[in-house]
Amino acid sequence: MAADDRTDVLVIGAGASGAAVTWRLAGAGVRVVCLEQGDWVDPRAYPHWRADWELHRHTDWSAEPNVRRLPQDYPVNDTGSSISPLMYNAVGGSTIHWSAHFPRFRPSDFRVRSLDGVADDWPIDYATLEPFFDLNDRMMGVAGITGDPAYPPKSARQTPPIPLDTLGATMARGFDRLGWHWWPSDSAILTRDYDGRRACINCGPCDLGCPTGAKASTDVTYWPKALALGARLVTRARVREITLGPDGLAGGALYFDREGRLHEQKAHTVVIAANGVGTPRLLLNSRSARFPDGLANRSGLVGRNLMFHPYAMVRGLFDERLHGLRGPLGCSIISQEFYETDLSRGFVRGYSFQVARGLSPIASATGGSVGDRVPWGREHRRHYDTRFDRTLTVAVIGEDLPEPENRVDIDPTLTDGHGIPAPRVSYTLSENSRRMLDHGIARAREALEAAGAREVAVNPLLRAGGWHLMGTARMGRDPATSVIDPEGRCHDVPNLYIVDGSTMVTCAAVNPTSTIQAVALYVADGIVRRRS
Amino acid sequence: MLEARRNLLAVVLDTLVPASAGFPGAGAIALDHVLAAAAASPEVDALLSDGLSAVDDAARAAGGVGLAPLGQDDRERVLRRIEQSHPAFFDSLVRCAYDGYYSHPTIVARLGLDPGPLHPRGHRLAPEEPPDLARVIARGPIYRRA
Repeated sequence: MAADDRTDVLVIGAGASGAAVTWRLAGAGVRVVCLEQGDWVDPRAYPHWRADWELHRHTDWSAEPNVRRLPQDYPVNDTGSSISPLMYNAVGGSTIHWSAHFPRFRPSDFRVRSLDGVADDWPIDYATLEPFFDLNDRMMGVAGITGDPAYPPKSARQTPPIPLDTLGATMARGFDRLGWHWWPSDSAILTRDYDGRRACINCGPCDLGCPTGAKASTDVTYWPKALALGARLVTRARVREITLGPDGLAGGALYFDREGRLHEQKAHTVVIAANGVGTPRLLLNSRSARFPDGLANRSGLVGRNLMFHPYAMVRGLFDERLHGLRGPLGCSIISQEFYETDLSRGFVRGYSFQVARGLSPIASATGGSVGDRVPWGREHRRHYDTRFDRTLTVAVIGEDLPEPENRVDIDPTLTDGHGIPAPRVSYTLSENSRRMLDHGIARAREALEAAGAREVAVNPLLRAGGWHLMGTARMGRDPATSVIDPEGRCHDVPNLYIVDGSTMVTCAAVNPTSTIQAVALYVADGIVRRRS
Repeated sequence: MLEARRNLLAVVLDTLVPASAGFPGAGAIALDHVLAAAAASPEVDALLSDGLSAVDDAARAAGGVGLAPLGQDDRERVLRRIEQSHPAFFDSLVRCAYDGYYSHPTIVARLGLDPGPLHPRGHRLAPEEPPDLARVIARGPIYRRA
């Protein structure tokens, strides 16, 4: 086994949070090595360059690792989960295939126990994170418009908002008729050239990557800057386990290189940024006499409290063409009318509406996220033509609450291509989340009808919707009820940090990446401060 | 044998998506895609072979001459029976047929879209005024201070 030189900080994972933390540390003069199991994605490899681009959505560019099955992917046993975890393994991580919808958590999202008597409060608050939200916005580049009454005032957005176009304006009219909140989405997609990157050309399928570089995947935002500052990034380096020294501190990591050779990367400090499934997998696979149940797992909470954002999809059918194939797929407008708790609705906490754009040609036939396939046979043409480019979809994004039974553990038999035990996900939608989604479906139907939809179709729970992997190494002050402290350090191993979605105490009702990255920058600041 | 399978598959595809309203049938458009999917996977190939045999048997039982000579309504009746008796085959076939059909440049162009790669052409959006958010703003803050 080859042993590499000891570095100051080892970061595991080059996605949203790993990139941010590496950049911040490298900028402070810290020697950083990052190990990433995936590779760089060549922008010329994206399906957008091919006429058959849509076929790749369900094969080699699927968001599901169990479908994609590339050498850099690891399998996930999700047979015990009603939602499939999604992820991408590459420099940039899941920001390669995200839709770049970029809302922040709200102040109340950090005070769930105090305000609503459920789950737990975060040990940090919105005000603490605000400068890191702003810094992250500048690094990623955000299209949007200030003044949203659903949030405290924000700093200026980097570029104007993504145009509503026909589809967004149609849905906005529905919300207006009902007197409900809506706002153009904060999106990490440039509408003007910014920071050396080009503006969006509105080609549509952001979920298949962005060959323009307008979408803020961290391979085009943080990484070029981090490397220029001296950070070292090792790709196709799959970490098997984190090593533990006799002093009880993390010593580094054992990893396989692209040829399958085992290496040891030693470090004074280790930061894990491997997502809400990969991080507990790594910790639970890093067993020792001192930590027989997995590293940093004296609380028994590593892997527990898994939260997804459960999605219900509500699609309206309109008479007129909506031109829904032009513009970023996932970003149009958002409504937070039902975000804060109102117990008269029959559930605690709330949800957002995210208005997505239209269905592409194959998805129009197969039903897209609703899954209602156009009938075959003599009536096929009539049904298809009625649907094509005449639909818009409102996604209901509910706030999941942490429950210990929802968890990631290690599958007893399944392994990845290097023989490393694979994760197993167990997840059941709670009664509170079910009631929340049902309320959201009814309200989305109301809004679509107000917008002019003549038919509405519903998928009550999107199975392939596990974009957001959260809560499996939660932050807190008490070592008995949390895995990491308010500075991001593991209670049990003080030179081991976690910065990905695992850290989230609660998950709010919006996409989490903006908040994950703000937390990562906040944790990185603490590492720098303590070193000096 | 292979030619017979190919011909039967083309008829099945034309029954799933018949030529209509200026659109060609799937037999001409999606055949190569379905055959390529079968060639790439022994499991899919076996599923297709078994399913097509069942279709042929059912057609002969219905009319005694196979699927091709039957009219659209009779073909649909045969396929609806197969949809019930061989759901995995049928679901996979319809999915694959739609994939091949609606990714084909001929059909994409017929839908009024540019059939080439999305990049670098993208889409042009009409210039628009900033959205009118006055009503939303007038409500004042809707978040809880914490």
